[in-house]
Amino acid sequence: MAKSYLHLITDNVEEYLRDESRTVGSAESISFPRSEEDVRGILRELGGKTPVTVQGARTGLAAGAVPFGGHILNLTRLNRVLGLRENLDGEFSVILQPGVALSVLRKCIADKKFDTEGWDAESLCIYEIFKEAPRKFFPPDPTEVSATVGGMVSCNASGAKSFRYGATRGYVKALRVVLTDGDVIALRRGENFADGRTLTLMTEGGRLIKLRLPSYNVPATKSASGYYIKDDMDAIDLFIGMDGTLGVITEIEVSLLPLSHVIWGAMFFFKDEASCIDFVIRARKSGSGKIAALEYFDSNVLEILREQRRTNPSFSRLPLPSDEFSFSIYAELHCNSEEEAARELFALGECMEASGGSERDTWVSRTALEYNALIGFRHAAPECVNMIIDRRKKEHPSITKLGTDLSVPDEHLAEIMAMYHAMLAERNLQYAIWGHIGSNHVHVNIIPQDENDYKEGKALYNIWAKRIVKMGGAVSAEHGIGKIKADQFRMMYEPVHFREMRRLKLALDPNGIFGRGTIFRWEDDDE
Amino acid sequence: MKIAVCIKQVPSTNKVRMDPVTNTIIRDGKDAVINPYDLFALELAITLSERYGAHVTAFSMGIPATESLLRDAVARGISGAVLLTDRAFAGADTLATSYTLARGIASAGKFDLILCGRMAIDGDTAQIGPELAEALGIPHVSGVSEIISLSENKAIAVRLTDSAAETLEIALPALLTIQKDINIPRMPSIAGIRRSLAEGFTLKRAADISADPRRLGLDGSPTQVVRTFVPQADKLSETIEGTAAEKTAKLLGIIGEVRK
Repeated sequence: MAKSYLHLITDNVEEYLRDESRTVGSAESISFPRSEEDVRGILRELGGKTPVTVQGARTGLAAGAVPFGGHILNLTRLNRVLGLRENLDGEFSVILQPGVALSVLRKCIADKKFDTEGWDAESLCIYEIFKEAPRKFFPPDPTEVSATVGGMVSCNASGAKSFRYGATRGYVKALRVVLTDGDVIALRRGENFADGRTLTLMTEGGRLIKLRLPSYNVPATKSASGYYIKDDMDAIDLFIGMDGTLGVITEIEVSLLPLSHVIWGAMFFFKDEASCIDFVIRARKSGSGKIAALEYFDSNVLEILREQRRTNPSFSRLPLPSDEFSFSIYAELHCNSEEEAARELFALGECMEASGGSERDTWVSRTALEYNALIGFRHAAPECVNMIIDRRKKEHPSITKLGTDLSVPDEHLAEIMAMYHAMLAERNLQYAIWGHIGSNHVHVNIIPQDENDYKEGKALYNIWAKRIVKMGGAVSAEHGIGKIKADQFRMMYEPVHFREMRRLKLALDPNGIFGRGTIFRWEDDDE
Repeated sequence: MKIAVCIKQVPSTNKVRMDPVTNTIIRDGKDAVINPYDLFALELAITLSERYGAHVTAFSMGIPATESLLRDAVARGISGAVLLTDRAFAGADTLATSYTLARGIASAGKFDLILCGRMAIDGDTAQIGPELAEALGIPHVSGVSEIISLSENKAIAVRLTDSAAETLEIALPALLTIQKDINIPRMPSIAGIRRSLAEGFTLKRAADISADPRRLGLDGSPTQVVRTFVPQADKLSETIEGTAAEKTAKLLGIIGEVRK
């Protein structure tokens, strides 16, 4: 008898029942494949009926990797870099398995050092060229660098620098996806397009799958909300952001960009929010394309940081602006020369003066040491809020931080910021807002004092979700729908669209075994 | 009140290249930063200029590329900068460097207070401050953590020792070397960077500072570096995989091996 890949769930593997969303699920068995062949073997052994939840490093914030029964297919040991490619334009790409951690990929690229065991002759030859070529980087930058690249593709992850570089989608050149029956779809960007809303896929086993794509239109804003659908879309895009619901990604090719020679960061301090938002709008319009990130911190963030610096020795050396400033923006410039960076910086300075701020009230980091100081400032905000929550949890164990992930189109930025502040103040809830204001995507963090606050905060989050959907926004801009946002996701589209999504899923996964409860609740749209 | 601050260019990485002949660090200006210790002296000088209206000038002896670091110092809020650069200065040890700095400072006018970082992160000698004071013939205090007050002819400063904090009254002009971590050095502002790029810059060569050529550079350096080497250091990392129990077992095994 062939050796079984499946391990029963015991106390030893309990950690695999949860992710960073702190949702806890259940499962009967787990496996850790090391090859695509293993994945196919496992699916065969499961027999096509058992629900399967695909997992990466479980760093997700929406419970996409949390199992709701059945089997856990954990891909963290499918973690080899398989080779390098270079196209005619001199653009390099890396072929890797989905369990490679972002931190590992980044280090390999930065050090130009790969484990080449088992690489083909083409990869080895390109590796030699890569070593001599100017430095490259992989742009997607979620905060959690222990995330796997497979997880990033699965939820189309983004981060602060997505303002310039976009989400993971833009860097995925090819995918291999194993379907429930073990058959494989190999996809390469630019090779297979839908005809309107009809998409035909050919499996390696020679099966033709015809898909009717749902009829909704995805929001024209930063979004990680459900399947990406467009007229005449590239087939590969359907599988980026599918949150583990259509198949198992077993191989990924990602493209790299040349690393900018000069990276400067700058903090801009404002006395009032109106000037701060006006600055963002002007900076965005200046449109030089060199601004990699535009991040916002509200007055409550600065208050929390000031309090921490007063009372917590580990924050005693945190740089902070003087008390007259309440709002701040972080901008990062990626340029080819210091002259160019200075021009870009001065243009931002002019935006600041035009918004009623002063160029004197800025900090510019031009060295690694000071760049790290600004990064420290950015990371201190979530760290401090988590510390406050952990303290309060001791008395009120059921509360957690409520962090929003809503985005809207450009023209609604000032409106949503005013809405957040006003509605939170009305309810007397403690909060701090920070995040990707360049993409109209800030994380409102409600910090509940007790269970009542928690309930009220949750209700408020749902009210906002409804409102931003009306503005053409997305209920998840970057964390993905997963399981915990499935209810909010239903606000984005009509019931008919959910039936269409279900039909699409069933065409690829006839028994609906992959990612039950992710993106949509399985039982809701049963026809 | 006129204050001079001395700053040094140091490599921003610990991967420095050594000249195999002279055994000195090759300084090509790439990835160079202001010595982090000097930033505390610079920040102190800026706060003194805000408090007492003092006029602050930065001095550095270095290759022409050091200009960008002096402009950076100006961007942080000081009045001006002087770069002492000449082939004749190359290969200087601390004695020749402090002589050159002393000549440079003396040629730029009369200063009431001279501030230096406690030491540089590359040479680690902590000799320049005291030697410079000797060369200028003025008193010095090393390891100052606070300046309580400053007047026309005296400064009251606190110096930390291993066992105590000494409060000292110092007759000016004097030189102080500044302890690390006594302040949070400010970053330059956009307005400061504009000013630093727009304003003129003083460059002085050996001939401009009436220096004795025999006391400059390699010729004026009695220190002979016989050999330098990078200490061997091994760092291995291993990712431990598996279930919690498997990982624990593997980790225990590794700890056991290390203890042997």
